[in-house]
Amino acid sequence: MATTYQLISSQILGSSSASVTFSSIPATYTDLLLKVSLRSDQAAYTEVFNLRFNGITTTTYSYTAVAGSSGTTSSFAASAETYARSGPTPGSVNTANTFGNAEVYIPGYTVAQNKPIGAFGISETNSANDAWVQSNAALWRSTAAITSITILPIGGPNWVTGSSFYLYGIKNS
Amino acid sequence: MATTSLARSSLKTLTKYDSFLVGNSAYVPPSFESIATIVGTGASGTITFNSIPSTYTHLQIRVLARSTLAGNISTNLSLRFNGDTGSNYVSHRLVGDGTSATANASTAQSNINVIPISAALTAANIMGAAIYDILDYTSTTKNKVIKAIGGDDQNGTGELYIGSGLWLNTAAVTSLTLFTSSFFTTTTTIALYGIRG
Repeated sequence: MATTYQLISSQILGSSSASVTFSSIPATYTDLLLKVSLRSDQAAYTEVFNLRFNGITTTTYSYTAVAGSSGTTSSFAASAETYARSGPTPGSVNTANTFGNAEVYIPGYTVAQNKPIGAFGISETNSANDAWVQSNAALWRSTAAITSITILPIGGPNWVTGSSFYLYGIKNS
Repeated sequence: MATTSLARSSLKTLTKYDSFLVGNSAYVPPSFESIATIVGTGASGTITFNSIPSTYTHLQIRVLARSTLAGNISTNLSLRFNGDTGSNYVSHRLVGDGTSATANASTAQSNINVIPISAALTAANIMGAAIYDILDYTSTTKNKVIKAIGGDDQNGTGELYIGSGLWLNTAAVTSLTLFTSSFFTTTTTIALYGIRG
């Protein structure tokens, strides 16, 4: 039986960093799966983690989200973004030693069509309020194969020490 | 797995190799493996995974479950780490019931309670389903955070939950206990997977 789920690469921060990049992603898989355990040094309850593909910084990204936080629900979206917003993660005000938990699925990352992204992430804290549960659909309007992924905070400026990033390849045969 | 034709093998060329591995692709172990699966007995409301190996980076729990609790359509599926019964757990939920969406939370609890499962008032053979993810479960510097998605549909009604849970403890996770009101049915299956990182 073929092995369909393999770790491509992982990075665990030994010191804070403004971004993390997986480069030279092999084209030998069908889909990509990114798992992240993140915390930002932004002085806020909630940080947003974003993806940028192949180093492209043009306004070719968009997203739509549904979320629950502090007893309320919401849905929001944006277009012409310079990165794919992928979900919430804790900032420096959240309970200490508490990191986010998120995964992003990127199907058909080598296929010559625009790249859809499905993400599900949470930001926890020891309070009834100020945590986030969120799911995002995002789009990168490019038909290029994805060869690199950069994960960066919207505020930050940094991911803190201990933040961890895991990129998996999924094969359909 | 790659194959090597006999025409190119040592059987054809009569070349002697000192290792059986010559000519074969390097074995790359899968990153997603089953650790254990436990089936409900119909006589217990608790399922525990003990002695979880520390050889993985993440854990995933996959749930197909139903409770025998009478008089209810659904009931709790609770999660506890390392047998800790202290008030060290927090849960947050986003809920959709087919009509509206709500969000709620609970703090200072003795377990994480995010996704309910079907109970006795639900029509026969309808189960609840859920997936829980726990990243970096062997870390001794991170509180343990889960995300989960699941719910149950009852052919006209139902609820979807996506949620999160926090265990205010940085210990490595070595055991997981899932429990419900009354008993897990014999059709309940809860599987624990390890993911390498």
